[in-house]
Amino acid sequence: MSEVKVIDACNTFCPGPLMELITYMKQAQIGDTLELLSTDQGSAADVPEWVEKVGHQMVGSEKIGDVWHIKVRKAK
Amino acid sequence: MRILVVGGGTGGTIIANNLARRLSAELRTGKVSLTMLSASDRHMYQPGLLYVAFGQMMPDTLYRDQASLLEASIEFHVDPVKHFMLDERRVKTQSDRVFDYDILVIATGSRMVPEEIPGLVEGSETFYSEAGAIKMYKALRNFKGGRVAIVVGVPHKCPIAPVEVTFSLHDYFKTRGIRDKVEIKYHYPINRIHSIENVAKWAKPEFDRMGVAYETLFNLKEVDVQNKVIHSEEDTEYAYDLLISIPAHRGMAVIEENRLGQAGWIPTDRHQLTMEGYDNVYVLGDTTNLPVSKTGSAAHFEAEVIADNIASIVKIGTPVREYDGKVYCFIEAGHDQATYAMFNYLNPPDLKPANKSMHWFKMSYNQMYWSSVRGLL
Amino acid sequence: MTSQIEVSDRPAPPSEPGVGPAELARLSELATLVTAAQDAMSDDIVTRLSAALNEGMILLDRLTRNQALMRLLHTLERAECQNLLEALAEALAATSRDLAKGRAADGGLGGWVRLLRDPDTCETLRLVSVLGSHLSRNLQASRAPDSSSS
Repeated sequence: MSEVKVIDACNTFCPGPLMELITYMKQAQIGDTLELLSTDQGSAADVPEWVEKVGHQMVGSEKIGDVWHIKVRKAK
Repeated sequence: MRILVVGGGTGGTIIANNLARRLSAELRTGKVSLTMLSASDRHMYQPGLLYVAFGQMMPDTLYRDQASLLEASIEFHVDPVKHFMLDERRVKTQSDRVFDYDILVIATGSRMVPEEIPGLVEGSETFYSEAGAIKMYKALRNFKGGRVAIVVGVPHKCPIAPVEVTFSLHDYFKTRGIRDKVEIKYHYPINRIHSIENVAKWAKPEFDRMGVAYETLFNLKEVDVQNKVIHSEEDTEYAYDLLISIPAHRGMAVIEENRLGQAGWIPTDRHQLTMEGYDNVYVLGDTTNLPVSKTGSAAHFEAEVIADNIASIVKIGTPVREYDGKVYCFIEAGHDQATYAMFNYLNPPDLKPANKSMHWFKMSYNQMYWSSVRGLL
Repeated sequence: MTSQIEVSDRPAPPSEPGVGPAELARLSELATLVTAAQDAMSDDIVTRLSAALNEGMILLDRLTRNQALMRLLHTLERAECQNLLEALAEALAATSRDLAKGRAADGGLGGWVRLLRDPDTCETLRLVSVLGSHLSRNLQASRAPDSSSS
């Protein structure tokens, strides 16, 4: 089991967090899980849509305080 | 007090001229000195490049000598900065000259980085440089029909450009009478056709009306120049005959080399426009990491605030204004209609239907820009 | 005016809300005018007009913020300065006529002596010398504050 890589995209705004995730996803290995931290409300909707289109896997999405923690596993 | 402005683009020029006007007495008596360091002796009206790409403007009309735009009290050197020594309050230039300052303004701007996507430089037309815009016009003129793809990387200069170029392509082919032989497809990296939600809402029915197809969540991975196919990170593809690209941008290399900000964007206080950690360093325009559009109008409104604040620091020892995130963008909706978007940190834009008068307002602004950078408008 | 008001003993009818047919006709006339103007304009015309306006504004800004020029304007408003300007313009025109008509100057010492014998030449030299002494005095006066402050 690979460890979770955290991407802190707090205080960046749409489309910043999604772009950060895409950048790191390119460098990740299949099976890796990335955790995106974002304060941008839009990311909570954008990221799952992107993940679905690409065919990766949503692991979880929850808001703790002001920060969304969105976990995605690289599937391909 | 020594004020140093690094960068002679829209933001740097407006700030320097505004300061020269506000501090004319102090500059005359030598209480204040005002110096600008720039990479070029020419100043380009960058929004004009889109018109060049459609043969509506000649490139030589986009330039003025930088020195001719500056107030006489500004000491101007064409000598770009290589090293920022913020803790020592000094910079070192390409020619190894050292400039000490009390207040620094960084307005170095941004640059496109198409080379980061394999095949994009060779395979696409882009209007983000003079040579590119001329080449794109020639390609359009030689185009007899087929599939036109528009691809967008983020972030990029001029947020409205992807929508504007699409409208312009539609009108251009219509005017030439070959619109029915052209398929236009627009590709955008997020899950709507523009990052500003209300612009997306306004443009979508317009795209439908013009018969422009679109694919969202399309992040360009590579351009297969040989076979003329674009591939996305999302594993979709599109075969094109003509590829128009708006490449992703980064801040200037000197910002990254001096480790002032990731990807060349300097972390900036949203309201004071000071660099995080340095009260005497102001940042504006494309150079900031602020959640506002990378456009001349943002630089303009930021410059007004910073110039007011630096002048008040000189006069009463404290800044007096805050930036509210104001941006005003003209939106050319084809070759004879336009609308505009105005917004700030708190209020999204409310787009009106496009009309001819707004188009002429934009045409006029293309000329009024020169009085705007002189600090007159 | 007051008598007219007194003649009518009935209160004026309350004004109708909205716009009457006459106003509508005028509005439509105005709209036609605007449309006609719009149709007559082109991108090129708008661009040229704005460029001219813009350059004019920049020039005006430069002129009005040039302190020496504003002082000069103030000086030129005096009647004797205006007379002088007119005289200068007339003289320039006459000079250009005379030069076109007259014979080219003789060279050599003889030519010099002939020129110096001419009363007009003497008067001209006097004018230049008086002008020179005033100019020098004014320049000294404008330099004076600087030299005293340093």
